Amino acid sequence: MTEKDHHHHDHACLEMFKMLSDYIDNDLDELTCKDIERHAAECVACKACLETLKQTINLCKGSTTRSVPDDVSRRLKATIQGLLENQPRL
Amino acid sequence: MPANKKKRKSPKDKDVELIRSINAGDLDLYYDLVKRYEQKLYNFGLRMCGDSQDAEDLVQDTFLNVFKYLQGFRYETKFKNWLYRVATSACIKKRRKSKFAPDRELSLEEFLPQNEAEIPKELPSWAMMPLDKLLNRELQEIIQQAILDLPEKYRLIMVLRDMEGFTTAETAEMLNITPANVKIRLHRGRLYLRDKLKDYFNND
Repeated sequence: MTEKDHHHHDHACLEMFKMLSDYIDNDLDELTCKDIERHAAECVACKACLETLKQTINLCKGSTTRSVPDDVSRRLKATIQGLLENQPRL
Repeated sequence: MPANKKKRKSPKDKDVELIRSINAGDLDLYYDLVKRYEQKLYNFGLRMCGDSQDAEDLVQDTFLNVFKYLQGFRYETKFKNWLYRVATSACIKKRRKSKFAPDRELSLEEFLPQNEAEIPKELPSWAMMPLDKLLNRELQEIIQQAILDLPEKYRLIMVLRDMEGFTTAETAEMLNITPANVKIRLHRGRLYLRDKLKDYFNND
């Protein structure tokens, strides 16, 4: 790789790095998407960056939720009942 | 776009009927509305505050405020979005009172490889694993802690977008910032979390 090629490569990597989330969220035009896919196919570092970011998002989306503990639920019910009892009725 | 505008003006919001009845005087139905969102808000509170007492306070404060302002609810907004807007305000107010998680800017540069050794030579195995093989309790806790360590303005966006499932436009409206700003913060928040996961898997 010549010095010029290397510089170009770094620039392309940086540009891709900035747009990864937009690419994953489908917020880019088709032409830019194709550029990213072409670059990712030949640059392992950027492909790794893209795939780890995708997986990070998947992990966030897949994180489980907890049930509300019974005592928390009971206290909330009491608060709401207290609130409603103090309201003027039509 | 006219199609979008039309959709916005008449959202198919399952809560609308219930709210109309409450606002017409059937106050006891308010608890039905509370039950509908209790678990979602509690989990939002846990993700934002990391503490079960703070999460409970957030749920209580939010539902008290929502009741107070329900008569003024504008039906062109989805109730769920409005509810989260109220919850987000309660959350920000609560955080301002505490000195936990100092606010700072995250720059894109800090997530770039700092030297040759940090540039990956191959795809890390964790990036390609099926989610059900990967997401165990320990990793859930790593993710939760990393989210809590994020400065608030990034954490809010990460939680709303990638955990609660709101769109960029909805998040922007909720927080009163531009969609471009949401995208910038989201990208940096994701990169921050990715770095924490990389560290975890590298040390595994």
